[in-house]
Amino acid sequence: MLLKEWKLKEIVLMSIFGVVFAFIYLGFYFFGQGLRNILTPFGLAPFGYEVIFGIWFIVSIIAAYVIRKKGAAFWSELIAGIVQVLIGSPAGPQLIISAAIQGLGAEAAFAATKWKNYSLTVLVAAGMSAAVFSYAWGWFQSGLAALTPGLIIATLLVRIVSGALLAGVLGKWISDQLAATGVLRGYALGKERQKKRVRKAS
Amino acid sequence: MSSINPALKGITVLIPGLLLSFTFDVFTPLVFLVFMITFTLLFSGIPIKKWLLFFSPFILLALGFAWMTMLYTSDAFAGGEHLFSVWRFEVTTGSVMVGISLALRSLCFVSLSLLFILTTDSTKFMLSLMQQLKLPPKITFGILAGYRFLPTFRYEYQVLRQAHRVRGIGRAKGIRERIYQFRRYAIPLMANAIRKAERTANAMESKGFTGSADRTHYHQMKISRKDWMFFGVINGALIITLLASYQLGYLNIFGHRFV
Repeated sequence: MLLKEWKLKEIVLMSIFGVVFAFIYLGFYFFGQGLRNILTPFGLAPFGYEVIFGIWFIVSIIAAYVIRKKGAAFWSELIAGIVQVLIGSPAGPQLIISAAIQGLGAEAAFAATKWKNYSLTVLVAAGMSAAVFSYAWGWFQSGLAALTPGLIIATLLVRIVSGALLAGVLGKWISDQLAATGVLRGYALGKERQKKRVRKAS
Repeated sequence: MSSINPALKGITVLIPGLLLSFTFDVFTPLVFLVFMITFTLLFSGIPIKKWLLFFSPFILLALGFAWMTMLYTSDAFAGGEHLFSVWRFEVTTGSVMVGISLALRSLCFVSLSLLFILTTDSTKFMLSLMQQLKLPPKITFGILAGYRFLPTFRYEYQVLRQAHRVRGIGRAKGIRERIYQFRRYAIPLMANAIRKAERTANAMESKGFTGSADRTHYHQMKISRKDWMFFGVINGALIITLLASYQLGYLNIFGHRFV
C-alpha cells in the first residue's frame, strides 16, 4: 500500500476520481433510498440498495484499471469515503471505515494477480470481492445477524452480481471511454492503448 | 464543539458506533440515544432547528428499517409470543424487540455522525488527518485540490449543456436517450477533470511540493486537554450505559444474554 513508487500526478488523478465519485455515491445514496421506498410494499425493501450496491465500488475499479499501481483500488475508495464525509454525508465518519473495507476487497483481487493482470475477468472479480468484503462489514454494522439466513444469502448474491456488473463491467467501460478521448495518455491505461496502436500501424 | 480537534472528534464518534454494533437489546441504544440527543442540544452549539431538520428524516428511515427487521427476523432472535402475521411473515415479541433495537441503533449512528459533520470544517479535518493520523501529504493535498474543483464542475456542466443546445441537441426523452445523454455529459466532464489533475500536479511539483511527511505546516492542528475531555465524556457515557445494561440484565450481544 506504499505510495513511494507513485508519481504525484497519479495521486492527484486518484484524488480527483475520489472526489468526483464521492458526489456520484452520495447521489446514489438518495436514489437507493427511493428505490427502497418503491420496493417496500412488495416486502422487497432489503433489495433496494443491493441492486445498485456495485456502484459504490466503481472508483476502485477505475483507479486500478487506469493507474495500475499497488494500492490504487484501496486508496481511491478510501478517498471517496473521506470526501463523502467532507461533503457532509449523513453516514458520518463510519463511512471511512466502510470505504476502506470495500477498497481492501477490490485490492485483494488485484493483489491475487500480483497487480499484473487488468483484464475484464479480474476487474469483475474485484467488483465481486469488494461486494463480499462490504457485506461482511454490513453484517456486523447493520445487525444483519438478526435476519433469516435465506434473506442474507439472497441479498448477498444480488450484491455480488451488482458488484460484477456496476463496478467491474461499467467501470471498465467508463475508463475505456475516457482513454479514447486521449486524456489518459500520461497514465498506464493510455500508454497501453498507444502501444497497441503503434503495433497495429507497423 | 467546532474547536475540537477534527481527527480526535472523528475517532471519538467512531468508537460508540463500533461498540453499539455488538448489542441487540433495546435498553442500551435507547439510553445512549437519549444521552447523545441531550449532549448535542446542550453542548454542541448546533441550533436545535437545524439539528431537527437533519435528524427527523432518519426517524422515518429507522421505522422502515425496524419494520423490515421484524418481518425477516432469524429464528435465533424471533423467540417469544406470536403477535400477528403479515401476508406470509410471522411477527413475534422477539422480532419486534430486535427491530426496535436495530432502529434505535441506527438513530444512535445518525446522532453521532450529525454531531461530527455539523461541527467540523472540511479543510481542518483534512489537515488534522494529515498532522495527527499521518495521512500522506500527497493524498491530503490531492484531496484538497480535488475538493476545490467541485464548484467548477457545475460551471463546466452548464457550459457543456449550452454548447449542446447551440448545436441543436434537445432534452433526452426515454431511457435509451437518457443513457446516451449521460455519456455525453459524464465523459467530457471527467476528461476535463483528468486534465486539471495533471496540470495541478505539475503546478504543485514546480512550486517545490515533494510530498515528504517531514515538512512544516502553516495551520498547526493540535490536541489539547479539552479534546480528550470530549473523548472521555462520550465514551465514558457509552461505558456507563453498557455497564448499567449489563447490571440490569438487558445487555444482549449477538443474541447472547448475560442473566
